[in-house]
Amino acid sequence: MTIRRVLLVLAVFAMALALGAGSALAQQKVIKIGALYPLTGNLAATGLDCKRGADLAVEIINGNFDLNLPFAKGEGIPNLGGAKIEIIYADTKGDPKNGLAEAERLITQEKVVALIGAYQSSVTKTGSQAAERLKVPFVCSDSSSPTLTERDFTYFFRVSPHDGTMARNQFEFLKDLGDKQGKQIKSVALIYENTEFGANVAKMQQQYAKEFGFNVVSDIAYPANASDVTSEVGKLISAKPDVVMHAAYITDAILFTKTFKEMNLVPQGFLTMAGYIESDYLPTVKADGNFMTVRSTFALDLAKKKPMVGQVADLYMKKYGIPMGENTARSFTAPFVLADAFNRAKSTDSQAVVKALLETNIPGDQIINPWKGVQFDPKSHQNIHASAMLVQIQDEAYHTVWPFEAASRELKWPFPAWKDRK
Amino acid sequence: MFDISGKQITVGGIVLALLILFPLVVTSPFGQHVAIITFMFAMCGVAWNLMGGYAGMFSFGQVAFFGIGAYASSFLLVTFNVSPWIGLMVGGVISAMLAASIGYPCSNLRGHYFAIATIAFAEIIRIVFNNWKLVGAAEGITVPMLKESVGNFMFHSSKLPYYYIILAFLLIAVAVCYWVSSSKMGYYFRAIKESHDIAHVLGVDVVRYRLYSIMISAFLTSMAGTFYAQYILYIDPESVMIMPISVQIVLVAMLGGANTVLGPVIGAAILIPLSEYSRAWLGYKGTGVDMIVYGTLITIISMYQPNGVWGSITYLLRRGK
Repeated sequence: MTIRRVLLVLAVFAMALALGAGSALAQQKVIKIGALYPLTGNLAATGLDCKRGADLAVEIINGNFDLNLPFAKGEGIPNLGGAKIEIIYADTKGDPKNGLAEAERLITQEKVVALIGAYQSSVTKTGSQAAERLKVPFVCSDSSSPTLTERDFTYFFRVSPHDGTMARNQFEFLKDLGDKQGKQIKSVALIYENTEFGANVAKMQQQYAKEFGFNVVSDIAYPANASDVTSEVGKLISAKPDVVMHAAYITDAILFTKTFKEMNLVPQGFLTMAGYIESDYLPTVKADGNFMTVRSTFALDLAKKKPMVGQVADLYMKKYGIPMGENTARSFTAPFVLADAFNRAKSTDSQAVVKALLETNIPGDQIINPWKGVQFDPKSHQNIHASAMLVQIQDEAYHTVWPFEAASRELKWPFPAWKDRK
Repeated sequence: MFDISGKQITVGGIVLALLILFPLVVTSPFGQHVAIITFMFAMCGVAWNLMGGYAGMFSFGQVAFFGIGAYASSFLLVTFNVSPWIGLMVGGVISAMLAASIGYPCSNLRGHYFAIATIAFAEIIRIVFNNWKLVGAAEGITVPMLKESVGNFMFHSSKLPYYYIILAFLLIAVAVCYWVSSSKMGYYFRAIKESHDIAHVLGVDVVRYRLYSIMISAFLTSMAGTFYAQYILYIDPESVMIMPISVQIVLVAMLGGANTVLGPVIGAAILIPLSEYSRAWLGYKGTGVDMIVYGTLITIISMYQPNGVWGSITYLLRRGK
């Protein structure tokens, strides 16, 4: 009896070992990438947007698609014998502590060879610290805090523009508006939600306002979970700025839009971001969102100049049944940058991949974002071509309006009074 | 004063030896991370227990002390290059002083009113830090990665030093709690918990002893905060001063068994690994299943073990004798 039991245990062990070995063999041609996103919690919707983007990217790399994207044609990564990419997701709940823990878990237990993510800059900060310690590349394409690329990490790379660049772009637009269209702007008011994101944006805007010679007449921070913002909007009204610059997440973007209308705040224009381009914004505020100008790194109408964008957007629509948005487009690009590096490195060894990442030179026509391409600064590892464009909501859809030469619709400026709108 | 039997010493010694050997067996950083966070919350739970469990002052604002500990050491390190170990003491003293200054006017508040006051207090502290430019306001403080050493309280190549430091902190907290609970002070605390008025009539200086318990609790919680900052190396009000941390601390203590020295440790040992592993196993789908499992378990324990897990274990052990 006992001998039989021992044999049984041994057999189970042997089977487990065999299964383990079998799966190891099967996984030889799979490259694992870890992804950190807030998949639950108050930014869960955003996290899922990001996840969908990365999933679609991997599907395109692994499958055979007729698109002008790296590795779309032909399956997998050619120089690694057609190896496929698999993304292992981890939920950060938006907590920096979890960013650290999950990055370590993905690297040491799931054996991922690179990381992407993590949306919130604070989580990316701790996640990339873990990656740096464990010497694994972290390619970020969705966090915008400038401090991330000021750390001069060896293994951290950022594809998307940071808040500093995007703040500069906003003031370049205001300057352009005067120079090219004769609409002179003198004063701006800054209003921002008071966490790391908003505070950093405002700091950058202050800096560039000074540099470009604009007068900041108001600087208002408010808690992102505020349920009433009439006093904030009241302050804006009395400051009489030419332009209101708003850094908001999704819930506060909706609340402010309603309050702007109720209290009839009509500056020459609103320059907004983030929450104003989330997939839930327009369905909630509908026509009240019209004529908001939003900074973005993506718009569906880019398809007019780059047909590939339209093809990708169609694939996305077919797969998920919703239109592709900015967050999705940002997370979509990181897997391609990594796949390109794996391919040129002909390996997934971290030193080789970092070397390849430093030599990255993806041309602008092979990415869905409106940049001249992807090329990293040798010291900061920030994509030197990354920048923001401006889109404006017209007829309840986002249209590119700046840079003027890339515009698909003409900018509507100044902002039409609320009462004159139907 | 220390009434410990030989048997208890043996069992304690074995447990301690196992804890010391644990990270040498479990070498994965994630496993070690879970243990570290468990000890950290266990320590906070033990500290909370001094107030909530023994003296009957339910605090839902412990995160204020945790945050002040994190901020004090980080600010001093970044601005004046002061060793985090000194920052740890400074943070502890500031927390204790603040606890006393807020505890004194609240010394007549009882039950729910005290709990409400602690929530308000923690929120005020969070809002102040969120707007205080000197300490980075909403952007928080990024602790620079210095050379790893015990003096710098920073280790990059291994988690073992963090593990042993927080284990030592936890042992200190447990020792303090044990000493308090078996000293005259502990009996005063219990008397205050039963009834302010009777304790007062019996000659207990209620206000003074309430302050003692708050101050000791604040100091220990603040130590855990400094540890967090040195371990994670990035803090902002959103990560070290928010209400869910206070709630977690109360949960750990209540679930494990308030009013017992080791209850919060047991509570943390159940809750933290449960939440961490359920997130790791189920969280990637983004369906929230992990939180359903977590919530269900808390409900079950509070329904069937209202004295906390440790309370039930000791009850069973006693009955078994």
